[in-house]
Amino acid sequence: MGKDERFDVVIIGGGPNGMTTAAYLAKCGLRVCVLEERTECGGACETVEPIPGVRIYPHAMLMYASAAPGFEQLELHKYGFRMEWDPKDLLEADVGGLACSDGWRSITPKDQMGWAKLGGMLGQPSFTRELMRSAFWCPPHPPEVEVTDENTPYMQVYRKYQPDIWTPELREMTMFDLLDEHCETEHFKTAMAFAAWASGAAGHWEGVAVPATLCVQLLTLPNMGRTSIPRGGLHGYFHAILRAAVHRGATIRTSSPVDEILIEDGRAVGVRLRETAASGGRTIRAEKAVIAACDVHQAFLDLVGPQHLDPGVIQKIRDISLKNQTLYVSTFHTKTPLRFNDRFKNVPDSKYVGPDRHPMAGIFPCDSREIYYENVADVDGRKGQPTVPPERAMWFQTPPQGFDPTDCQGHYPRGYISPAFEMAVTSPDYHVEGEDALDRHKEDMDRFMRESFSQMLDGLDDDNILHHWSASGRDVEFRNTGLIGGTWCGSRHDEDQLWTNRPIPELARYRTPIEGLYHAHQTSGHPGGLCLMAIPYNLMHILIEDGIADPGSWWYASPYYIPQEGKRSAMRG
Amino acid sequence: MSNFSYRSDYVYDANDPFGHMQEEFPRESEFDVVIIGGGPNGLIAGAYLARAGLRVVICERRFEVGGGLATEENLYPCYSSNPHVLYHMMVDYMPVIRDFDLDGPALTWIKPNAQTGIVFEDGSSLLLTRQVQDTKDSILKHSLKDATTFGKVIRDWKRIVGEIVAPATYIPPMAPIDITMAMERTAVGRAMLEIGEQSPLEIINDTFEHEKVRTLMLYAACMWGLDPRETGLGFMVPLMLDRTMNKCYCYGGSHKFAGALARQVVKHGGLILEAAPVKKILMEGGRAAGVEIGHEGRSIRAKAVMSTLDPHTTFLDLVGPAHLPASLKEEVEGWAWDKWSFNTLHIATHEPPKYATDDPWINESFATVVGIESVDQLLAHWDAVVAGRIDLGAFGGHSTCESLFDPTLSDRPGKYVSMFQIHAPYDLEGGWPERRAAIEAAMLAKWRKVAPNLTADTILATSMEDPEEIEIRFPQMRRGSIKHGDYRPLQMGCFRPNLDCSGTDTPIEGLYACGASTYPGGLILGGPGYLGANKVADELGVERWWKPTPEMERYIKTYLEE
Ligand SMILES: Cc1cc2nc3c(=O)[nH]c(=O)nc-3n(C[C@H](O)[C@H](O)[C@H](O)COP(=O)(O)OP(=O)(O)OC[C@H]3O[C@@H](n4cnc5c(N)ncnc54)[C@H](O)[C@@H]3O)c2cc1C
Ligand SMILES: Cc1cc2nc3c(=O)[nH]c(=O)nc-3n(C[C@H](O)[C@H](O)[C@H](O)COP(=O)(O)OP(=O)(O)OC[C@H]3O[C@@H](n4cnc5c(N)ncnc54)[C@H](O)[C@@H]3O)c2cc1C
Repeated sequence: MGKDERFDVVIIGGGPNGMTTAAYLAKCGLRVCVLEERTECGGACETVEPIPGVRIYPHAMLMYASAAPGFEQLELHKYGFRMEWDPKDLLEADVGGLACSDGWRSITPKDQMGWAKLGGMLGQPSFTRELMRSAFWCPPHPPEVEVTDENTPYMQVYRKYQPDIWTPELREMTMFDLLDEHCETEHFKTAMAFAAWASGAAGHWEGVAVPATLCVQLLTLPNMGRTSIPRGGLHGYFHAILRAAVHRGATIRTSSPVDEILIEDGRAVGVRLRETAASGGRTIRAEKAVIAACDVHQAFLDLVGPQHLDPGVIQKIRDISLKNQTLYVSTFHTKTPLRFNDRFKNVPDSKYVGPDRHPMAGIFPCDSREIYYENVADVDGRKGQPTVPPERAMWFQTPPQGFDPTDCQGHYPRGYISPAFEMAVTSPDYHVEGEDALDRHKEDMDRFMRESFSQMLDGLDDDNILHHWSASGRDVEFRNTGLIGGTWCGSRHDEDQLWTNRPIPELARYRTPIEGLYHAHQTSGHPGGLCLMAIPYNLMHILIEDGIADPGSWWYASPYYIPQEGKRSAMRG
Repeated sequence: MSNFSYRSDYVYDANDPFGHMQEEFPRESEFDVVIIGGGPNGLIAGAYLARAGLRVVICERRFEVGGGLATEENLYPCYSSNPHVLYHMMVDYMPVIRDFDLDGPALTWIKPNAQTGIVFEDGSSLLLTRQVQDTKDSILKHSLKDATTFGKVIRDWKRIVGEIVAPATYIPPMAPIDITMAMERTAVGRAMLEIGEQSPLEIINDTFEHEKVRTLMLYAACMWGLDPRETGLGFMVPLMLDRTMNKCYCYGGSHKFAGALARQVVKHGGLILEAAPVKKILMEGGRAAGVEIGHEGRSIRAKAVMSTLDPHTTFLDLVGPAHLPASLKEEVEGWAWDKWSFNTLHIATHEPPKYATDDPWINESFATVVGIESVDQLLAHWDAVVAGRIDLGAFGGHSTCESLFDPTLSDRPGKYVSMFQIHAPYDLEGGWPERRAAIEAAMLAKWRKVAPNLTADTILATSMEDPEEIEIRFPQMRRGSIKHGDYRPLQMGCFRPNLDCSGTDTPIEGLYACGASTYPGGLILGGPGYLGANKVADELGVERWWKPTPEMERYIKTYLEE
């Protein structure tokens, strides 16, 4: 098979984090190779077409990344990036009410003002973007620096722009505490806490009030309660990143699973591919760095292997909690469109989206935090099949796949395709009946889902349904090996696993105990899940410190970044 | 570093929470070449021209490039298959594979020896292989005479293919009279002319005597849409038969080929826009000046507009009848769609299909014909299809277990995906939505008859794509036309799509046509896109960085040079 190929940097995994890292490093002039296990890059940022003309998103659907420096630094607009803006005027959009067991309840001005304030919208001028960047687009501080109220980036931003939010307890609170202080109605708080549970850090976890709030703000604020998606979905956004990498010379190999990270003298020097790789079990050499953009368990326990790590670290890596609920995703193909049932019929126009006027249920049921806790107890506590009755199981619905009539796959001539419905269920890895429990219960689960969604919508009866596509956490683990635990973000975003603790303190700055080996996956690096271009941006600081990346004048570091002692600073100019 | 010029409509506002996300691909931009459609032909044309230094953009209507080079998770969740192109028949000859070094670490071609089999209800079988003697061995079971004939005739046919038909695929078409004169130069050429006068049925019946041998040979000769009884395209029979014994599987799925081509486009500075359906070709002073995309109000100007769509879409919908010379309009309106389409059933199973047959090697075959017992039954089946019917008692088709060659298609380890494809009418009597369920059941029953292990217990999931759905996915495959238009003498060679356009340039200045409806035609030949790139490179005055393949050089020297 000839000589080993050589690159400066080899990246394992072509999901959004691996590919964005490739785009950054290729722009620095490095010879980069991305190795992706599947036949198509994109990781959990993908689109599938299960029947012709029907597009569904198994995983990522919504755009959270608007504040990312990557749009500018990687010049995504030159690679075809386009948005599908919500046709309505953003500021006038009627956000409507929230769905509770007894029907719609409205969001009050106090809810809205409190929420906008937390998101930096009420600053003069608004400091939303800076706030978001401080929380997500800044590498964790170096280990020698103690994290304090003074140096925590989001604390600095609040102190500077909205001092009345800043309190010494802010870093200790739960999101519920924060909402109790700034917002009014119980259903609003419940909805936001649930959205946080589904978007990052949960509403009832201490110490992550601000990250939890800002995760949801990333979604709602730029969209004023409604959502805009990239043209082509998140995979379309991914395409722009991929092309930025390829155009700058990155080599992309698909169907190329990595089996081993080669370590010589304690240094990562390359990788060996699995035998089923398109080019067989070849070796590919990395002269400057190997970057694991695949899940943290696999990266350290399988690809590096226990022989290269001390048992204390191995135990900590094994113990990284994946308990972050799995999203059970359903999409329906029906003969007639789904419609709000009598309890929910009375809604403003803004609750219908797209050419087929899909009803947008949002989150249900938002009555009170008791319901939220019942669901949490089932999913993270009892860890089995749902014991909450279908009418109290919490779920949410995402916007329809295409909201323009001329979107070539947003309209299906043979019936109606629903937006995706998602419910939090126990991660297969923790299921008390075993990791394959969801395979055995799939039909029951599907039925349970339909019953729950029928609390709000008519049309989910057997006569009307032509297909119910569903993916359980178990399916997800097989489909996308990056989604360990079948969860959408891989590992829990709680205080013990966030910021300088993500995923464990030893790995928090994207460096590893193996020289030349870095990690850049949602399960392993701050800020964790979502397609934010954040981990690669943060990692850039570290690679500059280590003399691997040397970007041009297009680069700017986070203003809140603290360089490691004795290293070159990533701050320029 | 930007490979196109544009006017930015973005104004930076430091306080805007959307930030730089609002800087999008511009509303107005200018390239040298805009290509409509990111199927194999669009990607090939784009890759050559981008590497030649031209500023190229490909506009693709779907969310993924590839056109017929698709690999989809149509057995969602966890099982993918190749709903369209599965058999890559011209890998041995396609210039693009050689010129871009697409056979190596980036792309792996698998060419099994067991290529095309057939199983009969009585348990007998026949297998066509890459290695000639293996095919002979299989024919020997039925007829010593046919085995002997095969050994001889296949040598002549391979020569016709290797020396003439295959290299000519990548050289501009010639008028029939010029072909005749050129072919007269050699014995191989004369043999090709002779065979060209016969119909596929005549060729097969004259060459072979055993019913079972004839049945498989006829199936393989005509499965891509040759009329078994029509004369004039007989030269394609050797091509189809030789290629049915030399097709490749693209490891990782056919879409991987598209991905590799797309990366070549981008690597050399080209741009690809997905979710960008072209709705209009901009005309200025009788000349094509660019395109307008979907509902976005984006327009792209270019010196050359290359369409890879069918003639109706290109000329009637995108250019508009008002801009067409009368003769061209008439020709386009007379275009005939494929005589039949495909209906494909995909299944995911616990184990691969196991055929109850005298030769277990069939179970490793790339393709296996199922349900066809005789030449008469085959002809009756095709006649019914052309008349808009599927006779549930007497239909048949070809099947493949893709997982035998490609474990990556199943996300669940140790599971298999397979497909069973039959020729099918677009206008089905009774309607597709109405009759789908019955047809799917009949296909499964037919398959199970010869592969008894395909029981309900073995099957994990099924998914069927009918001809209407082909058109839903790909409107340019009108009426389910997998080749964008029929293979018939007046739509082949210099007549594809018509005398005016078969050289890829068209009567409209600045507009080029280089999809499956242009010479040499549909399937993954890589011909139209390659020829389109040659033409546009010449017309825009850039140097071709590529050279003809050695096979083409030899053909040019023997048949075309003075
Ligand atoms: C149901 C669901 C809904 C979601 N919704 C949203 C949303 O609305 N918005 C949003 O922004 N995000 C959303 N996400 C999260 C988002 O998709 C992920 O956070 C993101 O994809 C993580 O990117 P990554 O690159 O870290 O990992 P991944 O996307 O997991 O990519 C890792 C890649 O590495 C590859 N790989 C693994 N092992 C190997 C190996 N050994 N060799 C080679 N390659 C390997 C994998 O095949 C994969 O392609 C959602 C996720 C899920 C599951
Ligand atoms: C079921 C089936 C099985 C097949 N099996 C095989 C096989 O095994 N082997 C083989 O060789 N061939 C096979 N084919 C045929 C093969 O797929 C086609 O002949 C081939 O893909 C044609 O290539 P093309 O580039 O000319 O066009 P296409 O592949 O048709 O691509 C055209 C592209 O243009 C896009 N497009 C359409 N309208 C617009 C617009 N308005 N604006 C922008 N873009 C647009 C489409 O989305 C598409 O991507 C099969 C086809 C089908 C349907």
